[in-house]
Amino acid sequence: MDESALERYFDESIIHDSNFVLEEELELQGPRRVLSSTPSAQRPSQLAPKSRATGRSGDDLDLSFLPDELGGQNGPGFSSTGVLTCSQAVPPETKVPNDGAAGGGSDPVEERPEAPELSQDSGVSLDCSALASAAARPLQRTPAAELSTAASPFCVMTPMTPMTPMTPVTEGSGIVPQLQNIVSTVTLGCPLDLKFIARQARNAEYNPKRFAAVIMRIREPRTTALIFSSGKMVCTGAKSEEESRLAARKYARVVQKLGFSARFLEFKIQNMVASCDVCFPIRLEGLVLTHQQFSSYEPELFPGLIYRMVKPRIVLLIFVSGKVVLTGAKERAEIYEAFENIYPILKGFRKHLLFLPLKGRVWLH
Amino acid sequence: MSASSLPFPVIVPMLRVPILKPMFLPFPFSLWPRTLLPPLFLRPTVVKFPPTPCRLTASVAVVVNPGLDRSDISYSRTTAVTRKPCVNLIQGLERVKEISRILRVRREIEELALTYYKQAYEHETFLHVTLQRKEILGGCCVLASCRQQRWPITVGTISCLLNGDPAAVGEVYQEMIKVLNIQAPTFSVTDVMEAHCQEYKVSPGHVPEELAEDSKGLTKRAIALVELAADSWIVTGRQPLPIMMAAVYLAWQSLKPNAQRLKMSLEKFCKLAKVQKSKTAGTRITEMKGMLYKLGKEIPWYKEVLTPDNVVSLVGDVLQHRFSLLRRALKSHELSLLEKCPAGQVNPSSAETSSSSDVSEDAGQTPVKSSVNAEKEKQGRDGDESLKSPSEESNPQTQELTQNWGKRVLFAPPCVVNAKRKRAERPPLHVTGDEEISDSEIESYIRTPQEARDFAMMQEKLFTSNNESS
Repeated sequence: MDESALERYFDESIIHDSNFVLEEELELQGPRRVLSSTPSAQRPSQLAPKSRATGRSGDDLDLSFLPDELGGQNGPGFSSTGVLTCSQAVPPETKVPNDGAAGGGSDPVEERPEAPELSQDSGVSLDCSALASAAARPLQRTPAAELSTAASPFCVMTPMTPMTPMTPVTEGSGIVPQLQNIVSTVTLGCPLDLKFIARQARNAEYNPKRFAAVIMRIREPRTTALIFSSGKMVCTGAKSEEESRLAARKYARVVQKLGFSARFLEFKIQNMVASCDVCFPIRLEGLVLTHQQFSSYEPELFPGLIYRMVKPRIVLLIFVSGKVVLTGAKERAEIYEAFENIYPILKGFRKHLLFLPLKGRVWLH
Repeated sequence: MSASSLPFPVIVPMLRVPILKPMFLPFPFSLWPRTLLPPLFLRPTVVKFPPTPCRLTASVAVVVNPGLDRSDISYSRTTAVTRKPCVNLIQGLERVKEISRILRVRREIEELALTYYKQAYEHETFLHVTLQRKEILGGCCVLASCRQQRWPITVGTISCLLNGDPAAVGEVYQEMIKVLNIQAPTFSVTDVMEAHCQEYKVSPGHVPEELAEDSKGLTKRAIALVELAADSWIVTGRQPLPIMMAAVYLAWQSLKPNAQRLKMSLEKFCKLAKVQKSKTAGTRITEMKGMLYKLGKEIPWYKEVLTPDNVVSLVGDVLQHRFSLLRRALKSHELSLLEKCPAGQVNPSSAETSSSSDVSEDAGQTPVKSSVNAEKEKQGRDGDESLKSPSEESNPQTQELTQNWGKRVLFAPPCVVNAKRKRAERPPLHVTGDEEISDSEIESYIRTPQEARDFAMMQEKLFTSNNESS
């Protein structure tokens, strides 16, 4: 289910169920929780100053109660009176290291409460069990952005049942990285006379002083090949694995036609490069703080953040515009996997508070 | 058993020298009882041959020591004396000290840098590199230790000190980090801001009274401007120096926005402050003014026409009330978007949002609850980038907005707002990789014999003419 539909769904649920009341409860610590268990009679008066939420159409959610710092703590945040409280589930597989604070050398006081939620790839279990229609169907959201900080109104809803950390159901980003370049190598199996090739072939260039290989190009698929005198060849520029293979075969055929006993041996894809656009700006400074072990962001040297993912072993270049370049893959699946891994992390830095260790300064969105 | 484990230095040469004369020994050497051999016997043992004039080659010399096995030991190992520290290492350490002293860093930083340098130097990645690279390594060690100890300096400063290319410095830095396996958190622009502001010589002693500005106030305002710029995506991914320069310039202008200051261009200001002007600072100034204009528009008590040019005088007010102005700006932006799209559909506006919602959590400000609510209502349903309603597709204006999400939001990174036109993309070929390759296609890539001959002739002509001319 896409996000806007989910959001609309929850809006309606709030409109229709008068039991639901928005509570000032995000930090699930003892003293705060007491509030949630106050009898319902008191609640309307409590909420009067911020009331507007329930009265109007469901899209107005009063989130002014959200505290300045959100503890990422989770615990069963429910009350028997059907009061909604927000809680966050920490999925067991948090890819992101939680020691962003420690490693960063940044101010630990500020970082600590925020680091967990910044670094969590958490999902919120939203269980509108009080709703007849919902039938206690837990809905989960992976993107951390949706639940952490004040950004999303849906932080506010809580399951009636105790929260247990569940594995979040990944919705999938819906974005597919497009392959831009494939580099492959082939062994032709026989020594080649590069001068001869350069003389006989129309599409070849050879400048031994500059580079010790013939640079050959074909039109379809539009690719370039480096052909070495040892009989090894590198083929670049194809947009898919099959294209690369076809192109390599064509080059081998040209060399064959020129009179060499070339064969097509050990075709192997060495590198695949893909790119995509997540369509929202990304706070690179925040990302480098929380994912320090994997990221390197030096704006003086390069405008993008270099993220070296461990599994799969892919290097991602992440830019502030939301464009992501993935490289280093030997297989297409690695690219897709890497992107699905990074997408929730990026969403977390989309509309998110960034707490940088600068004199208590808060970087917005 | 190695020679070095013996209590005395043993010289055991590995000789491949033909020994022409037979050695006359009183007693066949090999028959001497081992125990009689003195332990300090240092001469190489040679297998005794019958005294015939033959060429002997002592290919290996054996340590004679009773009870020890006669394994081969190399000369270099046995003649090794305690290694003197490498001269270049010492010089490198001195250079690291120099750099630390120039930067006037704390003692701990200097010591840490020296430790890192020693460690990195010995590693194979850096042991055999050029001296220039080793010097850059020294600078990188200082940079890493400054970062770890939170002493703000930039890569640009280090590369200036080393008289090197920042790219090379960056490269060595990345390698060094990997080798030493350390983590050094980068600085943000605001960290470095204070140090940067010190460079501007516009304090009362340096310049005439009307143009002077107290450095503390200047720094404070410049930092606030940089933070605001960061919120509007002007800072991320950009070189910090032009942004800092733009912020200081605007701060200086806005602290006393009289005609004289407003008229002064960036170049003149840099000359005044005795700093080197950066070319991109001009662009940053324009971007910052644009951002300030968007916020300044929302100031309710400013009755005159506001343009990005005359916004400098309002900077003080904008900074003071920036949070509420931000909220109002977002709200009016939302409203304007709703107006553009026909009524009857909710337009989920994308990425732009949350500053208002986040704002409510900012400590120092009193959030205006009503506007916060109103905004959250509109922004609550965002997150969905694609505009799905079909009626929007028909409207060309909204279609443009759809394609470039940067134009839809109030603040977006400038590279998105001014998106370059994409190259025409190749349609993907649907091939299996195993298709038949037509001969004609391959023939088209090969020269005809006549062509080949012409080409060869032409090459020869070129070659000879080149030879003649050169």
